[in-house]
Amino acid sequence: MIQAITREDIKGDRPEANTLRSALVALPKDAPEAIVNNNFIVTPFFDALGFSLEERVPEFGTGKGHQKVDYALRHNTDENIFLNTQASPHVLVELKGRDIDLTYNSTSYKATVKQIKKYLLAPNCKSVQWGIITNSKHIQLFRKHGKTIYPATPCLDIKPDNIDELTDRIRKRIKNTPKALTIAVYNNKGGVGKTTTVINLAAVLTRHKKKVLIIDFDPNQQDLTNSLGIQAGKTSLYECLKDKKNSINLKNAIVPYTKKFKSKNNVITFSFDVLPVDLQLANIPEDKLKTELSTHSLRKKLETLKNDYDYILIDASPNWRFYSISAVYASDVVLIPTKHNNICSLENAAVTIKKYIPEIQKTRQEKTQGLEWGATALPIFFNGEKITDAARIKATNAIKKIIQQVKKESGLDLSPYLESKTGIKIFELPSNAYIGYAAFEKIPAAYKNKIAYSYYAELAKEYFLQ
Amino acid sequence: MSNLSDVGNLMYLDLDIIESGDVTNTSEYLINATAKELSNTDGRNWIPLIVKEIAEDEYQIIGNYFVYAVAEAAGLEKVWCIIADNSEATEKVTKMLAGEAIPKINLSTASRDEIKSALEYLVEQPNTNLKGVKIPVATNRIDEAPRQYWQDLSPITNLKCGITKGKKLQALEKVFYLTPQSIPDDLKNSQVLNSLTVTELKKIAKKRKLTNYGKLNKKKLVDLLSEN
Repeated sequence: MIQAITREDIKGDRPEANTLRSALVALPKDAPEAIVNNNFIVTPFFDALGFSLEERVPEFGTGKGHQKVDYALRHNTDENIFLNTQASPHVLVELKGRDIDLTYNSTSYKATVKQIKKYLLAPNCKSVQWGIITNSKHIQLFRKHGKTIYPATPCLDIKPDNIDELTDRIRKRIKNTPKALTIAVYNNKGGVGKTTTVINLAAVLTRHKKKVLIIDFDPNQQDLTNSLGIQAGKTSLYECLKDKKNSINLKNAIVPYTKKFKSKNNVITFSFDVLPVDLQLANIPEDKLKTELSTHSLRKKLETLKNDYDYILIDASPNWRFYSISAVYASDVVLIPTKHNNICSLENAAVTIKKYIPEIQKTRQEKTQGLEWGATALPIFFNGEKITDAARIKATNAIKKIIQQVKKESGLDLSPYLESKTGIKIFELPSNAYIGYAAFEKIPAAYKNKIAYSYYAELAKEYFLQ
Repeated sequence: MSNLSDVGNLMYLDLDIIESGDVTNTSEYLINATAKELSNTDGRNWIPLIVKEIAEDEYQIIGNYFVYAVAEAAGLEKVWCIIADNSEATEKVTKMLAGEAIPKINLSTASRDEIKSALEYLVEQPNTNLKGVKIPVATNRIDEAPRQYWQDLSPITNLKCGITKGKKLQALEKVFYLTPQSIPDDLKNSQVLNSLTVTELKKIAKKRKLTNYGKLNKKKLVDLLSEN
């Protein structure tokens, strides 16, 4: 008798029809949030994502005022039941009804993205790695790494035909959260301080106890390798990249960079890893190179290191050819240094954002059946020049003009990348005599000089560190 | 976009990352003897393999399978390949260009010369099943038949040109396909009507709102429709 009841109960709890697909089909066309929540999200969507009842906290207090996000999720560990402790959430979910339009770039979509970003950066959400927005018609996954938030998937259409696969892919991505954020430091214009930025950013991040790898992917100049006085590793980068069979470990090409500093009582060691460029790579003409390497080669190789570092910084070459394309294709986000007094560097930043990066995204999406977003541009910053108020106004006007022109020509709004959230105050990295001088000593300025350190620490905090 | 994709590039790829797909039957002799010749040179396959990218660093052959078989037999680790795009049309035409697939022509619309050359091709094949078929006769009769309405190739067997059901008709399927037109309701040509089936004739009769056609045989149906 007992057995019979149990069986029926199981059947009752989980009838055949209670799958993602049928729950989705059964949802009324304009179901409000409460119905979407009750009939789709709670069961079966969260079940399919792999989060049990005890691994979900509804109306999770973000710690910023009284703001609450619809759900926080985290897998339980032996003693730490998320529902009880409500500590260290891993995923936030902002839910909408079907009556709210989440079509990409619609007004309500933009508002919802703004909302989830705000929650992701709230005090109680520091441990969060992922954000989801959905109304059961559309869904988008965002990745949060430190302070950096970027789309992990495009805004995807949910349909009965793809809901199972889509949920499965999102579940897998959340399960395999990569440790590293890959940042390409790129501007089509030379001389904007890309290499200096990479080296000093790496130095600052290591002083914040982050594990960092920097990659010299500008074989023609080799500034990064030279300015740190580094010799190529056991295996050349070229040999690694060319190995499409994946039989050579990229780690063989990595060289550690370590500096010891004596303080009053003890010795402090700072170190990061460097993937130096080799002469072989520098000497091969591009047409020959393309017979053995693809623009995805760097990305594929770096995937093997994604759990060994907190940050992977790529120094990209100033053009839009094989090396820089590969660097941007391999990255999650693109940091674009500019000079306020160099109009070309500003115009090139605009071209990068409106043309090059969308190309990368299109290719990435094609290659992943539309499930991966591709690289995202971070807002630009002014690098290392003294800025007077008059010069700042001049630069701001130039940027305004670029924004207006692009909007007129292509309808694209570049203001989120070329202006700061609060208006037109772009992050400024001041100049410092020591930063330039340090290059001669083959030591990052941020290791040796307090002012240089504080400047780059500000940069790291602006974009990356929470 | 060209910057971002390898399509059109000549690349030197590991044999291990190329999926062979369905390798066509080529004689062991030709493969091994060519492999030996290739080994006597610097081992470069000047005729490239044609591949498409199915995933990053994964490729699949779409043309020149023979080159792959020879490279494998010669023990080459890498082969020169041209990367083609992923479309089905590209794959189809590449196989034809490589001589590994036979192109088909549309018999619904083909010209007399096209029909003739297709039949000649079939008859000239070693082991042809069309021995004894007289090409001028077959060409004429097929050309003059109302082939624009044919749903399949079977009406050819009624043309008394030596092509009978079974292997002979099947041989024709290698080179011909059809895109049949719908039969016009006011069709009166008795020759054309004759080529249709009884069911098709009755359909036309129904559309013309004729009566008492249910029990007629084919000849009488044709007579009825060519008059009314």
